[in-house]
Amino acid sequence: MELVKRYIAAVQRELPEVKRDEIGRELNANIMDQLDMLSEQQGGLADTDIAAVLKQMGHPREVAQQFVPPQPLISLHYMPVYRYTLFMVLGILFVLQIVGSTSAWLAGDFGLLLYLKSVASGFLKDGCFAFTAITITFALMSVDTAKATTSQNDNWQPQQLPDAGHSWQHISLQDIFTDLATYVFLLIVIWYPLWLSPEQLANSSFLFTDNAHQLLKWASPLALLGIASSLWQLRKRFWSQTMLLGNIVLNGAFVAVILMLAASDPLLKLEPEVWQGVLQLEQLERVAVTGLVITAMFPLWEVVRDILRLRKLA
Amino acid sequence: MTTAQLDKMRLELRRGVLVLAVLASLKQPHYGYSLRKQLQDGGIDIDEGTLYPLIRRLAEQGLLDSEWQQGEGRERRYYQLSELGTQLLSQLTDEWQQLNNSLSNLLGTASQETK
Repeated sequence: MELVKRYIAAVQRELPEVKRDEIGRELNANIMDQLDMLSEQQGGLADTDIAAVLKQMGHPREVAQQFVPPQPLISLHYMPVYRYTLFMVLGILFVLQIVGSTSAWLAGDFGLLLYLKSVASGFLKDGCFAFTAITITFALMSVDTAKATTSQNDNWQPQQLPDAGHSWQHISLQDIFTDLATYVFLLIVIWYPLWLSPEQLANSSFLFTDNAHQLLKWASPLALLGIASSLWQLRKRFWSQTMLLGNIVLNGAFVAVILMLAASDPLLKLEPEVWQGVLQLEQLERVAVTGLVITAMFPLWEVVRDILRLRKLA
Repeated sequence: MTTAQLDKMRLELRRGVLVLAVLASLKQPHYGYSLRKQLQDGGIDIDEGTLYPLIRRLAEQGLLDSEWQQGEGRERRYYQLSELGTQLLSQLTDEWQQLNNSLSNLLGTASQETK
């Protein structure tokens, strides 16, 4: 019967402590009954017979999971938003790490390997912290989800559903989180002095000139509006005429700000000695201006797209 | 259809029916192994890893009463339908009869059409 004891102990190890004794006691009684019956039929029991019975019962972990089904840490209800939040935050952290490490690399005299190590270690450190914080938050939110979801699902009314509309009117989570990530990233970069320690601040320099940086600071409310708009989209998930109009105005304002930034002269705050022998400063200015004009094309495309969509809805 | 697909669908088909079979068998008190034997004798084969947790879940839902008793030199946990379980069994039995009639008609029609 040593095998039975081992089997029950293995099942109990997979169970919550409060249920171990009770389930173990019951499982033992059931197995012993089964073995008794087998013994009566065969006129005795060998270890191999006991092993066969236990094997038929199933793996201890599976049996334990049948008794107490495992609960997911994050409720399925939150899973899509959790996944996109993780992608968004980790994406932003990765880009920020690239920007930080690249500027340190350009200013310092360390090699490519140290640069890659700086990117990887910095991202891992911040990423682990962000992953843990997000997961704990969603796990706490999931504690009472079952009740909340049931009541929400019971109280729904078909009349509250949005119009069937066009397929493009449904706003995907991916689009919303991409926009959110862009706006949050913009705010973090523009207001970088707020996140850095005095030492880090003393050793860092912003890529743009003070005038250009000032212009970006004035544009911060647009990013805040963008975040508010994305959160509203997350709630509604459906393009209405009002939301399209709001998006046209917001993206139009972004196009104007980016083009104004591109028109700033000088645009970049560069240290000639760092770039000596690599690129001429005028070339870098031209590259930056071209990059900004190309960047402006994205919100401009959204403006044109939304005007066309607005016409279809009119 | 592959064997795996068939097994999966068979499992889904049997899952709900097993609850009804267990409740119906527990009009009289049974312990785990004797319940399994009773079900087997009635033509319903269910493995222990599924049956024992199922009985516990039904008991936790208040559908079964349970009591530890000594018998044949060993303690056993006996289960029997509770009052709530009896009411539920009656409702589920009606539901099953209706479903069975409807399904028999549908399956009868379908088999005639395929001939």
